[in-house]
Amino acid sequence: MMTGLAIGLVLGVTVWWILIQRLKDKPWERQGLIEGSQDGLTSSAPKVGLWVFMAMVTSLFLIFNGAYLMRMGFGHGELLGWAPVDEPGILWLNTFVLVGASGTMQAAAGAARKGDLGALRTWFTAGGALSVVFLAGQLLAWQQLAATGQYGVGDPAFSFFILLTAVHGLHLLGGLVVLGRTAARVWRGLDTENIAAVGKVRQTVRLCTTYWHFLLLVWLGLFTQLSIT
Amino acid sequence: MAYVAIADRDHHLHDPDTFITKYIWSQDHKVIAIQYGVVAIGVGLVALALSLLMRLQIGFPDVFPFMTPYNYYQFVTTHGMIMVIYLLTALFLGGFGNYLIPLMCGARDMVFPYMNMLSFWVYLLSVIVLIASFFVPGGATGAGWTLYPPQAVLEGTPGSDWGIVLMLVSLAIFIVAFTMGGLNYVTTVLQARCRGMTLMRMPLSVWGIFVATILGLLAFPALFVAAIMMVLDRLIGTSFFMPALLSLGETTATTGGSPILFQHLFWFFGHPEVYIVALPAFGIVSDLLSTHARKNIFGYRMMIWAIVAIGALSFVVWAHHMYVSGMNPYFGFFFATTTLIIAVPTAIKVYNWVLTLWRGDIHFTLPMLWATGFIFTFIHGGLTGLFLGNVTVDLPLSDTYFVIGHFHMVMGVSPVMVLFGAIYHWFPKITGRMANDVLGKIHFWMTFLGTYAIYLPMHYLGILGMPRRYYDYGQTDFIPESALGVNQGITIAAIVVATAQLIFLVNVAYSLWKGKRADPNPWRATTLEWQTPDTPPKHGNWGPKLPEVHRWAYDYSVPGDEEDFIPQNHPIKPGEESLRNAGVSRE
Repeated sequence: MMTGLAIGLVLGVTVWWILIQRLKDKPWERQGLIEGSQDGLTSSAPKVGLWVFMAMVTSLFLIFNGAYLMRMGFGHGELLGWAPVDEPGILWLNTFVLVGASGTMQAAAGAARKGDLGALRTWFTAGGALSVVFLAGQLLAWQQLAATGQYGVGDPAFSFFILLTAVHGLHLLGGLVVLGRTAARVWRGLDTENIAAVGKVRQTVRLCTTYWHFLLLVWLGLFTQLSIT
Repeated sequence: MAYVAIADRDHHLHDPDTFITKYIWSQDHKVIAIQYGVVAIGVGLVALALSLLMRLQIGFPDVFPFMTPYNYYQFVTTHGMIMVIYLLTALFLGGFGNYLIPLMCGARDMVFPYMNMLSFWVYLLSVIVLIASFFVPGGATGAGWTLYPPQAVLEGTPGSDWGIVLMLVSLAIFIVAFTMGGLNYVTTVLQARCRGMTLMRMPLSVWGIFVATILGLLAFPALFVAAIMMVLDRLIGTSFFMPALLSLGETTATTGGSPILFQHLFWFFGHPEVYIVALPAFGIVSDLLSTHARKNIFGYRMMIWAIVAIGALSFVVWAHHMYVSGMNPYFGFFFATTTLIIAVPTAIKVYNWVLTLWRGDIHFTLPMLWATGFIFTFIHGGLTGLFLGNVTVDLPLSDTYFVIGHFHMVMGVSPVMVLFGAIYHWFPKITGRMANDVLGKIHFWMTFLGTYAIYLPMHYLGILGMPRRYYDYGQTDFIPESALGVNQGITIAAIVVATAQLIFLVNVAYSLWKGKRADPNPWRATTLEWQTPDTPPKHGNWGPKLPEVHRWAYDYSVPGDEEDFIPQNHPIKPGEESLRNAGVSRE
């Protein structure tokens, strides 16, 4: 809860400061075309859209975080039936796999920037494959937990464990849909003369990379919280 | 010209060529706006009918055999949920947000048109799921619109078998639809404004919709989390919210769940939701008042700061809905304080609206009538909010008709006043025809006076201590005979107001068919949507070239200018600067 509040506060102050810089204009005094202002639709719209989406997902996970802490009674949850989950060791392996996915995506973005189509194919596909491995690993972790026979649906810590990992996994799955479509286009071959098509692929790869880093951060936060509680 | 703006280059990308792509699977923001508007108003009429049914029971108990307690609670619940989410949120953001943002910012469309289209269809799906809940075994949920567990999922509450599940699923689907729309609204405002349109030149309508959408994107996840966790509690027996309890003489399998946790999640969404509805209304009403009073909006910068401040503060007041739930007393103090603080920027806005009217050249057109009506109802509802924001005053008034009177005035009637004002204002642009003035005025006066006849007496009933949500009051000492008479009066007023809405529908139908052809700019307004080459605007909005903006949105009655308005896309005239300054020094 405190971490959530602190993150919220820092974000709030930052946004406020940016706003104050932008909002002190007196439009009734400034007349005419303002130079340097944008001119219709910009090419960075998808990037801004992604950042807005990630802000929303951050809000979703912070709220889940708050609900989690409140349900566990801020560490005094024995009376509320809170029995901590003993996380299976495979989660460490999954974490390394996701770090690897994030790294390969970064390499893919680098290859796209340099226009190296062969390297792009390799890294991008490797990123997707590692993500699938991560998801499979998460399913395995569920299975291992269920196999211990210690936990039932009525156990809040166990329910939260499944719910939070599922929500994170679904977000990764959504990313994989975009990745899959772009990877298919890259594999079909790209007309390097077509500047618009190349630009679009380059942008999508870059956005996928950002999103993968973001989901890695979310997972690290989630994993930390699940481990220490 | 070597350089062509991106928006000028690729506007043919999703040109509609068949009837289906033009009117049904349309990616045009104007068509999507109308689709959103029609569905929202349609489902709103259902909610209106439900409110009449429940008023019949309260005003004339035991007269109508079809009003059972079971139905009554289903109607109460569905009425509330539809009005707040499926009507107001969808109409302001999906309807007006979609229509106005690209036109007012000088864009050809939303930045992600395909996602925008999906947003509408997913919204429609959420409405269908919601309505379907009336037809499943057990019918719709009767848990009250706040859906508090444990009663929402326990046997004995109407709709506890399937109604509650469909309600929660419908909400989750709505949130997905809102996300797809919301990403569009925010990104379009940030990334698709035409040349010269700085953030500080945007009309306040866009500002209100923009900030409200950000609130929605950050607050709806709380409802999403609550809905998912409650569905799991109901369907597979998790105990997120469900405590250990005795239900119908038997112990439930759940243990330790926290009903208060649900309340926190619900209101962490629920209070920003009030402003998700109110901020677009604030923005739109500012533009209506300024345009029809032929005067620049008073305190433009202050208005924006107030919108931003209200948006930020709306996230730290939620627990004032939970004073009676049992909280640490210091929390009550904290939330009462923040609640009073949020009244400050809100009051600034009210003063600025009144000062905009002050010595203005007020034209009592239809939109202006509704806009001034809004100022009355909003001040009224806002002031009773100050009562309820204080813990000690809230405790006795909580769950009485005072609360019903308060929130219907502040977030029922007030936004609806703005919605009607906005519909009459933009009707000529959307349809190319003027709405009928006489029918519109009858509609206004019946609605305005009628809502006072409904909600003013409710404050009195609330102070008497009359509890809300009751199906029947029976014999009680503290409720006098006269209170029952007041309830009959309220019910009759409600029927009259509902009838007035039929006049609105007749007006829309008649004006579409036989209304006077509208000029491109009948209200002589400055904002960009009135400067389109075609009325109604065609696909792509602006013809071959995007507009350029040379001034802010409020150049009304500029000293020395022969016209009393200068559109945003008109270049500065020679000598205008000095005339303007002369005007300022004369004041």
